[in-house]
This record gives sequence, structure tokens and C-alpha cells, in this order.
Amino acid sequence: MNPRAITGIGVVSPLGTGRAAFLEGVRDGARASVTDGRADVPGFDPTKVLGDKGLRGLDRLTKLLIVAAREALHDAGLKKDNAWSARGGDEVGIVVSNAYGSLEAITELDRVSILEDARYINPSRFPLTVANSAAGYASIWEDIRAVNVSVSDGNCGGLDAAACADVLLAQRRARAILVAGAEPMSDALHLAFQRLGAVGETAFLGEGAAVLALEPSELARERSAQVLAELIGYGTAFEAPPREASLLHPSTDAMERAIAEALADAGVAPSDVDVVVSGISGLRVFDEAELVAIGRALGGERGERCVLAPKLAMGETLGGGGTFGMLCALAVLREAPRAPTTYAVRGALRTTPRTALVTSMGYYGNASAVVMRAAAR
Amino acid sequence: MRVPRVFITGVGVVSSIGLGKRAFFSGLEAGRSGITPVAQFDVSQLGRQLAGEVQGFEPRDHLTPAEAKRMGRCSMMALAAARMAVEDAALPAEKLAGPRTAVVLGTTMGEAQLLGELEREWIVNGPRAVRPSLVPRYGSTLLPIHVARALGARGMVLTLPAACAAGNYAIGFAADMIRAGRADVVVTGAAELLQELQYAGFVRLAAMAPERCQPFDLNRQGLLLGEGAGLLILESEEHAVRRGARAVAEVGGYGLSCDAYHITRPHPDAAGSIAAMRAAIERSGITPADVDFINAHGTGTKHNDAAESKVVREVFGGRRVPISSMKSMLGHCMGAASALEAIGCVYTLESGVYPPNINYVTPDPECEVDVVANVARRGKADVVINNSLAFGGYNAVAVFARPGVLPPPQAVA
Repeated sequence: MNPRAITGIGVVSPLGTGRAAFLEGVRDGARASVTDGRADVPGFDPTKVLGDKGLRGLDRLTKLLIVAAREALHDAGLKKDNAWSARGGDEVGIVVSNAYGSLEAITELDRVSILEDARYINPSRFPLTVANSAAGYASIWEDIRAVNVSVSDGNCGGLDAAACADVLLAQRRARAILVAGAEPMSDALHLAFQRLGAVGETAFLGEGAAVLALEPSELARERSAQVLAELIGYGTAFEAPPREASLLHPSTDAMERAIAEALADAGVAPSDVDVVVSGISGLRVFDEAELVAIGRALGGERGERCVLAPKLAMGETLGGGGTFGMLCALAVLREAPRAPTTYAVRGALRTTPRTALVTSMGYYGNASAVVMRAAAR
Repeated sequence: MRVPRVFITGVGVVSSIGLGKRAFFSGLEAGRSGITPVAQFDVSQLGRQLAGEVQGFEPRDHLTPAEAKRMGRCSMMALAAARMAVEDAALPAEKLAGPRTAVVLGTTMGEAQLLGELEREWIVNGPRAVRPSLVPRYGSTLLPIHVARALGARGMVLTLPAACAAGNYAIGFAADMIRAGRADVVVTGAAELLQELQYAGFVRLAAMAPERCQPFDLNRQGLLLGEGAGLLILESEEHAVRRGARAVAEVGGYGLSCDAYHITRPHPDAAGSIAAMRAAIERSGITPADVDFINAHGTGTKHNDAAESKVVREVFGGRRVPISSMKSMLGHCMGAASALEAIGCVYTLESGVYPPNINYVTPDPECEVDVVANVARRGKADVVINNSLAFGGYNAVAVFARPGVLPPPQAVA
């Protein structure tokens, strides 16, 4: 992969809203407040960023996404006072990862349809039930016109969105692309995870939106943009479950192969990886498989590598998980040597990290990984 | 770096006008309508009764019992179409399986029917009634996973939920992956189910026609919904040549843009759509004069068809390129629409047949385009365009060509 500069970020999370709050939270090892297996964004008020107009008809997913997208555009210097200041709307794109769409809107309409009559569903809410609705609204609100892509690959989707952005940038379909991951909390999602036994003592659901502005590094340099870190490699893999009857499958082999592919794509040796931001979330069999894969892929040459598990502090954000992982990696690369050790589930940071690996293991045998490096200082 | 050509080597279809490419192609040529009264759920109170439902699809004809048990109907149709495409491509299992094969699929709502069941259990009987076994089977993420698992593909698995343009998005991205060297083979396309909530939603948006879908007609009254799956095997030229495969078409360039204007309506000046179509043509190394036929988005709504006609006039100037909407026969298959239409493009390239735009009675001065009215037409078919617009302001346009017609692809400057 040609290096892609991360020139700005935007975030709404259970740890805080906005770049400063989030990076400080990660640096200080903050933990979300969890109630009944869920960590909602506390006091989320989109009007502070977006104003009062036009928000009433939108759902939580869309509002989370637009608030974070707007911040990322401004942080990257692509916009100033909500007008394009570098590039134009036809040169900027967005790729949004989300796993389950707006269950809020779907449940609202299903309630009317099931308890009353489908004839009475609110037509103005219907568009929100469509999977790419939030991405479409983000383009409308932020005038993003070059490309608009939605991706869905569960909790690997955020990393896949970065890979999509890389392909789109390589094909010159945009000069800058927002890579976004977003998942809203909803009663339906919470219930589904409860019924699966996927929230409990250690695992819990989070919510939020994490957005990174990605540009070809040479174009970022040309316009003298800030570079917070660089994305330099991506890998992904799928392995089928060994048993015909299984559906869920924590695949060590897929994770190991995704990491190896990402390192090869980045031109980085396993021994060069200083820190791993994993997708470990408190689901024992998945966590163990991911840790084994990381150990195998990185080898023992440099001893035990520091593995962080920020989801244990901020929750599983599914479609947002990958981009939250990338933001955590960025925080670690930037804030070293004060980077958090409270998120570590294995090893400790011994050196100033320069190269970070971000991993995500899907529920069905899929896995993705990206490699990031610190910006030149 | 030399950019590889991307070939389509096989296609598979589950549609309301036939299962398998032979039935589908003969249906297209005959102008067969797949529109029937909705049988899957009760629409008696909605004031609309029709849709393009898939008939006669038996999962056991295409899937093992274990496969059928673990997936919803959308994935079943996708996998059935994938198996047909593999067979059509004569792609042996050992050349298909492996880490260099990816599965990239489009959809709008994936297994929406399963979600409907889960929600009904919850809303009617309370949270404890929700069956845990059903939960992991929901999620559009699963479509490519089920297909990859069945075919032995071990590369990227990705769903692009790009609404009504999802098919073109998936095919375009799949081609880009091959061009970028990230895969040799991509199983791609899209699948969509007819679903109760979506049906009611379109009725409530006053977008659904009462009797028939009449794209570009003066008296068109809206769309009809449909369902189906269209899957394609994309291979790099090198992979196809090495195994002696027959390329049925080449994937040319594609163009993307977003209107950033309105969530359901196309931009009245159609600038984004025009830019996407021009980009698709330019990226194919050709000019508008080289395009022989347009497989239209043509939903049959007032807004869409007028805007699309404007785009065609703008891009092609005074030249009247034959245009036709398959939605007149299939209804609007949402995420699957542009994938099925891409397969329609393959048919046109193979046969020289432009499928008819049925139910066309009265020309509309706002849709001043050369509609292939009611009866298939034969003509030159070296290069065709597949146009799609979607919810969210998405525009996605793909060019398909007879193998060897397009100039060699160039690295994008």
C-alpha cells in the first residue's frame, strides 16, 4: 500500500466527544461507565456541533456519524467554519462501516406495523431503515460528493473501510476520504447481544463514531496538512469453520494470515511491530484465538509484544470497532511514551512505539488487520 | 505497473423471470414480466398487490441441508446464483478456492426477513421470546461469508450495502481489487429479498405503481418492487487465460459520485450522475460515440426517469443511444437490481439483443430518449453501459464490453 496520511480525526465515544477528550482519555486509560452491559455516549448532544436545524428527523446513527465527520474535516484542515478550505466537495469522499444499520428506526416502524397496521408507518422515517442512510446524510450535511461507500463486515468493517479508501484513492476517485466507523446503541442491539450471552462480566457493548481523514501522503505534504500518523498496510482473510453445523467461528488461522498480509503490504517485518491494538472484547474464545494469532504472526524474536485491548474499556462498537482501534493506535503512537498501559492485556510498552498493528477478529471466521506508523517528527 | 484487464467468466441468476442464465436471457429477449401478486406476506391492506417475486426457488435444489439451515433466504439466493456462476465459468473448485479469491456482494437490507422475525418475537412476546439461535444469522455481513464458505474462497469477504446501486458498487469495487492486485478472482454481484416493511415503506412513500412499471412512459406511476440475486465471476486476464477460461465480457471503467442533495430524490441538475457516467466512459478509454446501448436504472418514477433522460442527453448530445429498463419486467430488485442488469448487459454483449422496455405506451417529452419499446431490438453490441442511481444520492455507472474491444487499461494518472 502506498502510505496514506491520517490528517484529521473526529470522534464521539463513551470516553468523550472530540479529538482532545478521546486522545486524553486513551492516554489516561479512561474507562466508560457501563450499565447492564452497555456503555452509551453520555449526554450526547449533536446540537452543540450541528446546530438545532434539521436534526429532528434523523436517527442516532446518523447524528453520531455527522458530528464525528464534521470534526474530522475541520481537524484535517479540509474545512474551516463549515466551508471547504482545502479541496472541494467533488474531491472528497467518505467510506462508512456499520454493522447493523439503524435498528432504532427499524424497530420504531416494526412496532407500528406489528401492533397497529403497516399503513400507518411514518414515511419520513422509512428512509432511515435503509443501510446506507447515515452515509447518505453525511454527504448531504457535509457536501461530500466524490464517492460515498458503505461497507458492512461486522467488527472488521472499520479496517476494511480503510482498505476500500486506499483502493479508491489509488484509483484517483477522490483526493481525500473520510474513513468512518459508526454503530449506535439501541434496545434491539442490546437485547440481541444479551440473548446471545455476548454481554456480561467482561464484555459489553459500546457505541459511537470514529472518523479518520485519509489522504495520499504525498498530497498531504503538498498541501502542508498535519499528519497525525500514517496507514501503511492492510490484510484480511476468511477461514470456514471446521464443523458444518457451526456458524460462529473464532479463526486463529484467518487472523494470523490477515496480520501476515498486512505486514507484507506495509513492507514491515514482524519484529518491527511495537504495539498491537487488538479487538479483544471480553468474549473468551474469540479473545484467546486473537491472542494466539498475534503471538504466532509476530513470533517470539522480540519477546512478548505489548497487546492493548481498548474494547475492554470502551465496549464493542461493531462497525465502529476498527476505526476506534485505529484511533487508539494513533493515540498510542502520538502520546508515547505516556501511552496507556492500563489497556494492556499482555506485555508492556518498552520503547517509544513507531509501528502499530491494529487487529479485528470477526465472528464468522473473518479477520482483518492494518499497520500504522507514527508521523515523522 | 501493467494494469490487468478484468473479465467476467460466468454469471448466475435467481430472478422472477427465471432461474439460471438461460431462462433469464430468454425471458429478457421475450420481454417476459415477472410481476405477480405478492404471496410471501399479506399486502391486502396496503392498496398495492404486485411485485416481482422469485417463483419456484427451492433451496434444496442448490444448497445442502446444513447450508440451508444456517442461512436466511437472501443468502440462499446469493449462494444458488454463485454456484450457477461458478458452473457457467467452468471454474474448477481448486482454482476457485484459496486466499486469492474474494467475495464482494451488494445488498440493501440483506436478511431483513430474519430481522423482521426477531422483531416480531420481541414486540409481540417480550424480550425472552427472542431466539438466540436466530440472532447470529441476521446481518448483511453474512451474505459473502456464506458464499465464501461454500466455495472455499479465503480472501476478502465484504458487503457493500449501497442500496439500489449496490450491484454496480460491488462489481466496480471487485474490478478495482483485481486491478490493484489484491485478488485474482472475485465472486461478486448482489442479492435482495422482497420484505414486508420495505414494501409498506414504498407504499407509504407513494412511490409504488398500482399495476405495472412503465419506465420513461408519460403516464408512469412509480416503481414495483422485485427480488433476486445476480452473481458474476470476475477474473484477472492472467488468471482467466492461464486456466483457458472463456471471457464472456470485460469490465471496463466505472464512475461513482454522490449528489449530496436529497436522501431519496436525484439532484434536479443531475450533475453527479452526469459526472459518474462520463467518468465510467473516460476510465474505459473510450468516448460516448463508442457506446452501443444503455441498460437504464429506469425505476418508473417521475423523478428518476426524467433525471436519467437528462443525463443521457447531456452525455451523448444529439446521438440517440438505445436505452431500456429491465425493471419494467423484474420490478426494482433494490440492491440486486444493478447486478441483474449487469448480467443483462452480458447478455446484450453476447447476443446483440437489447432487452425491451415493456409497458411503454406513450412517449414523455421529459424523457426524450431512444427507448427500446416493448420488443427486443438487435444491434451492435460492443460496449454497453449499466446505469444505476440510488437512495442516498449514490450514482454508480459501469461499462461492460465484448472482450478485446476496449483499449488496454491504464494506470490512473
